[in-house]
Amino acid sequence: MTGSFYASALEIAVSVVLLAAMVTLWRRSVRAIVRSLAVQGFGLATVAAVLGFHLGDPGLLVVAALVLGAKAVVIPYLLTRLVRVDPGSRETQPLVNVPASLVAAGALTFLAFAATRSVTAVVPSIAGRLIPVGLASMLVGFFAMFTRRKAVSQIVGLLLVDNGVALVAFLATSGVPLLVELGASLDVVLAVVVLQVLAVQLRTRLGAFDLDQLTELHD
Amino acid sequence: MTAGVMIVAGALAGVGGAALGALLPQRLRVAGAASLIWVACALEAVAAIQVLATRQPVILHSAQLLPMTGVDIVLSPFGALFVLLVALVAAPASLHAVGYARHGLDTRTAAAALPLFVTSMLLVPQAGSVATFMVLWELMALFSLMLVLVDHARSEAARSAGAWYATLTHAGAAFILVAFLMLAAGSSGQTFAAVAHHASRLGPVVRGSAFVVALVGFGSKAGMVPFHVWLPKAHPEAPGPVSALMSGAMVALGVYGIVLMGYVLLGGGPGWWWLLALALGAVSALYGALHAASSTDLKRLLAYSTTDNVGLSIMALGVSGYLAATQHRLLAALALVAALVLLINHAAFKGALFLSAGSVQHATGTRDLDQLGGLLRRMPQSGAMFLIAAAATSALPPLNGFIGEWLLFQSLLHGSGAGSTAGDVAIPLAVSAMALTAGLTVVAFVKAAGVGFLGRPRSAAAEQAVEVAWSMRLGVGVLVGACVVLGVVPGAMLPAVEAAAQSALHGMPAAQLSSGLDLQLAGVRGALAPAEVAVALVVAFLAVAGLRRALARRPAPRLTEAWGCGRELQTARMQYTAASFAEPVQRVFDDVLRPVHDLDLSHPAESRYFIESATYHSTVGDVVERGLYVPVIRALRHWGRIARGLQPGSVHRYLGYGFGALVVILIAVAVLG
Repeated sequence: MTGSFYASALEIAVSVVLLAAMVTLWRRSVRAIVRSLAVQGFGLATVAAVLGFHLGDPGLLVVAALVLGAKAVVIPYLLTRLVRVDPGSRETQPLVNVPASLVAAGALTFLAFAATRSVTAVVPSIAGRLIPVGLASMLVGFFAMFTRRKAVSQIVGLLLVDNGVALVAFLATSGVPLLVELGASLDVVLAVVVLQVLAVQLRTRLGAFDLDQLTELHD
Repeated sequence: MTAGVMIVAGALAGVGGAALGALLPQRLRVAGAASLIWVACALEAVAAIQVLATRQPVILHSAQLLPMTGVDIVLSPFGALFVLLVALVAAPASLHAVGYARHGLDTRTAAAALPLFVTSMLLVPQAGSVATFMVLWELMALFSLMLVLVDHARSEAARSAGAWYATLTHAGAAFILVAFLMLAAGSSGQTFAAVAHHASRLGPVVRGSAFVVALVGFGSKAGMVPFHVWLPKAHPEAPGPVSALMSGAMVALGVYGIVLMGYVLLGGGPGWWWLLALALGAVSALYGALHAASSTDLKRLLAYSTTDNVGLSIMALGVSGYLAATQHRLLAALALVAALVLLINHAAFKGALFLSAGSVQHATGTRDLDQLGGLLRRMPQSGAMFLIAAAATSALPPLNGFIGEWLLFQSLLHGSGAGSTAGDVAIPLAVSAMALTAGLTVVAFVKAAGVGFLGRPRSAAAEQAVEVAWSMRLGVGVLVGACVVLGVVPGAMLPAVEAAAQSALHGMPAAQLSSGLDLQLAGVRGALAPAEVAVALVVAFLAVAGLRRALARRPAPRLTEAWGCGRELQTARMQYTAASFAEPVQRVFDDVLRPVHDLDLSHPAESRYFIESATYHSTVGDVVERGLYVPVIRALRHWGRIARGLQPGSVHRYLGYGFGALVVILIAVAVLG
């Protein structure tokens, strides 16, 4: 793989990750939000694969396959099942509306770049330059958790945070050991299963996936 | 057996006592625990006596017992004196506890906590490093708190007292830890020897602030004003033997801590440190005596009197440090001896008084003086012992309280002309404060003895009181015996006290009190012959009694009701009550005590010019508590209520907090990095 091809492939894959995170803020339909999470998982797997080819590390290719399976297929599938309980569910009233959310996401991306200047200065490689994107995806995910009302959107927000962490790990260390990634992926899948159970419980008890209902438990 | 083995065996005996207390059936629990407390006290006391006799410290170290730091035990002659003091109170108190058991001490928790409390107090003065000291200190606080709370299920006052005590002792421990850390940071180790070596090279600001912080921390344990507020709450609520232990022994360890910090670790310091201690001691003595004089609850009175006596000891310590700073080393040693003697005496008579108060509560079920009266006739032995201990507290010769106050007066009088201007102003003021304190103490104890034990009973409970079990009487008797012996033959304890004082004051001359039967101060003019005073008093007493008998005219005079004033018989309601006895003192010191008077008059329907009945109540709150602690508590409660608004139960709000914090941190990184 030539240097310039490697650089542009990596950049495109990383951009997919960030764009997918943005799309989750833009779309209102919960089904579309889950779909964009799958796209982000695909982007993340591509990053791992590109790094693996570049470094000639077969272990990293296995990691890429693992990420693809867990984050682009299994988790979106689990979430789709959850969506099917309540098809047509939409983020009708996010705490921050869509245009403002997109502006905030832009600001958060800027903040991510500003805050990691010292890190990118230490890691001068192409991968190192892209580290802020991982942080940006994390911040966007956190922002989604904070502003979206539906349980599924919140789970997606949590997964965006996780994907962001994984992206930073890939870029900063040029490949995560297989064992670590195996553990992390399994962890996330389990977390999603647990959250799915909780969300279904929430719906059966309160008749909605709306987290604001929980405040009634207070006092 | 070497001293080291005895120290370890004593500690193990204490832990074994806890095991017995937890495992034995209810009837035997306290007796089992008490028997091993005696073993522990005896072993530690023998080790302490051996150290005081040879003046060689015993050093033990175990790396396994505490992770990271290990345990260091160093029994110096100075610490040994306090081990003896704790043993002096703990052995009779646990004997008394056997009879007192059914008032909450025979639960598993209490019977196990009592030996552990005693053991931790025996070990605190033997701690040789910062970590060991703090662990033992906190264990002591913890077990005493458990014992204060024995009545928590029934009494709201006990729960509140526990909360006050826990808060103040915990805050005190935090201060102590900060003071130690200020000195220990940068030293080569955390043993007291290493810390003392390092502290001698620190700057005056660090040393001074460490001393003041430690004075606050240890002062809160010692019951020094303004950190005394837990004493009048916790002592009344704790069972009798426990309050005797807390007041006689634990409070003395607070003063031990101040000496440890000021002399052993810092090696003395500038005059202002010690004048501060002198001032706080004088305020404590006065404030305690004043409140003791106006209390109507027997144990509350004793608790305030504890603040009074500890204040005197801190005054002596302050004078000692001040005189050392102005190079009057012989007098400094004398004042330190006075401070230690005051503590030992206080342990004896206040231990006896609190145990007696426990006996009274056991016999009558109340500690309100206005419900008592006439107990001397119903409990002759307990009553007589209370009167002797009260006389000792009032510093009447030939009892031990007099010796301590005489030594303090001597060091104050001889120290007044020698030093800086500040000292020349402060010491005469301290003398007058001490004189006033002595007078108020007498008022307080005349009231306690007169209202409680003389006259007629004021309630059915006092009327039906019977003498308590022999174990309780014997417990009080041992301590009262100590009051008499230490008062008549102070030479019995002075060599030990001198050895202790000399080990605390590195490289200073010993206070040479030539002590046979007479007390002769070396270097200054001052002598006392307590044994002769005692003999003279006994002779005078016998002479008056004989004279009265000789002069009494036979046929015996006819007995009638005196001052009958036309009434058929006198009732108990015609006597002084505790409140009415204290009324003049309250009136004079109205500005300090701020009593709340409550006079209810009810009039007959026909005319408002006549009075049908009148009830008078006066309650004296604690001004320091009202002025210093209540506003702080109120502010904390206010902020707590505001803080509750931060958690409305909305998941989004909580996520928002996390998100906001993250963004703020990142912005800070972006701007600063």
